[in-house]
Amino acid sequence: MHYNGKLFSKQMLLFEFRKTIGNPYVHIFGVGMPVLMMIIITRVVMMEIPVPSVLSSMVTTIFLGIGTMIPMASIFMGYGVSHAQELEKGIPQRMELFGIKVSVTLCNRILSELIFMAMAFVIYFVVGYVFVGVEAPGWSGAVLYAVCILMLSVILFCLSHGIASLLKKFGAVYCVTMLLYFGQMILGGMMGISYDNMPSAMQAAARLLPVTYINRDFYTVWKGEHYNFMPMVQAYLLMGAVAGILLFVTVRKERRKLH
Amino acid sequence: MLLSIENLTVRYGEDTALSIKTPIEIRKGDRIGVIGSNGAGKSTLIKSILGIVPYQGTIRTALEPEQMAVHMQFNEYTDSMPVKYVMEAILNTKIARNQKLQELIDFFEFRDCLRKKYSKLSGGQKQRFTIILVMMQEAALTFYDEVTSGLDFETRQKLVEKLVEWYQGREASFLMVSHYYEELDQLADKLLILDRGQVIDYGGREDLFRKYCGRAVVVVSNDEKNEVLLSDFEKLSAPAHLIAISCDSEKMEKRITRLLLEHDVNYKRSNNDVEMLYINAKAAAERQSDTGEEKETKTGGN
Repeated sequence: MHYNGKLFSKQMLLFEFRKTIGNPYVHIFGVGMPVLMMIIITRVVMMEIPVPSVLSSMVTTIFLGIGTMIPMASIFMGYGVSHAQELEKGIPQRMELFGIKVSVTLCNRILSELIFMAMAFVIYFVVGYVFVGVEAPGWSGAVLYAVCILMLSVILFCLSHGIASLLKKFGAVYCVTMLLYFGQMILGGMMGISYDNMPSAMQAAARLLPVTYINRDFYTVWKGEHYNFMPMVQAYLLMGAVAGILLFVTVRKERRKLH
Repeated sequence: MLLSIENLTVRYGEDTALSIKTPIEIRKGDRIGVIGSNGAGKSTLIKSILGIVPYQGTIRTALEPEQMAVHMQFNEYTDSMPVKYVMEAILNTKIARNQKLQELIDFFEFRDCLRKKYSKLSGGQKQRFTIILVMMQEAALTFYDEVTSGLDFETRQKLVEKLVEWYQGREASFLMVSHYYEELDQLADKLLILDRGQVIDYGGREDLFRKYCGRAVVVVSNDEKNEVLLSDFEKLSAPAHLIAISCDSEKMEKRITRLLLEHDVNYKRSNNDVEMLYINAKAAAERQSDTGEEKETKTGGN
């Protein structure tokens, strides 16, 4: 009765945030790895493309694309495996038996994950501006990038929670989320093969993923230029629907069958 | 009435883990002890009431899920922070600002543990941690599933003493599963006896004692001398190292005790011993089941 219908609480948010930052995985793969990859890849590009006018846009495109690794690693993988570990110990059920509704847990968790991700992005942007020379965005570009990352993070959270609830075992969740993480990176064009160089079947799959559009096209949006958002929105809607259905089904399945 | 159970069946695959045919009612203020050997269906009963295992039948209650608290047999919490923060999150409060919580922490002598992580707590401290959280729920009905299992004798005694003290003068109801009869001696006023998923009996402790053991029971150690001495009396079922004699009347009790005193035999007398009650209720159920099987065989033979 301590929550009395409230979805958010300071204590629960702090609790979830402590759990998030207590997971070493999110620091290594959610912050360190994207920052390192962004620096390494942009350095390689700088060495290969010495034309300053093209270089700047290339570097910014890479920077924006690699940024999607932050929610993919910290939320999709990091949260997924951490939730699976808790499920193995029966912690979520224990919390529910104290009268804490799943909706309260989910709301505070997602908020804590987003706060952590925002902090990771601050570090990422500081490093990007100081060491790589990322171009400044138009105001609409910055807002849209934030919105797109935020939406992607929420979808990835739902997907991750659903996968963990479905598979329940740490090992299985780790394996599936890792495969999907690398799958998204490869299809999103972040692992060396750009969208244009992919075979048509791979392109078809890549078009279903929001990361493809962020990695390939977001420089246009970043600079405040005209962009057709429809394919990107469709990719978001599709992934959102899959994640939403998976979350709904697993939460319903796990629900206590009370009188 | 807080809760009623009718025609409850819980199956794990092909096996029936619990089958309750006679209605069971839990009323306000009831302190129910649930006894039975491993696999009797004790934990399954709690899980079905809480809706965490699927069941067939009817469980009626006006209580909201939040009004039922539970101390499970195994309770786990995140280990990424001190238990203080876990406690504050579950209870949605700050310990420093919550007088009642502070009192409970002191009552269960848990203050020194607040800075520790859950995995660093001892068995007794872990149990006390969950008990504090459960009690802060102020639930109308609380379930305790083997709260003291795995604890050493002293810690177990201390914990039970604390529970007895806590519930004194309070109206809250609870259902406690335990393998330790002396705990139920101290805490329960009603008993639910289960065996292999079936209810042997349910009722007031004293009523059940009278039904299965008589007015009082006199227990002596089982040796040849006592066996001969008490050969004229009808014996109750008892652990192998004991002889238990049922005393149906005060006169009979005096006769037995006089005899024991004359022969300088140590004895124990009780009119509510849970262990004796359980053993004899189970023995009666087995006898009844054997009689039923015999009748069935005869009917089949005819």
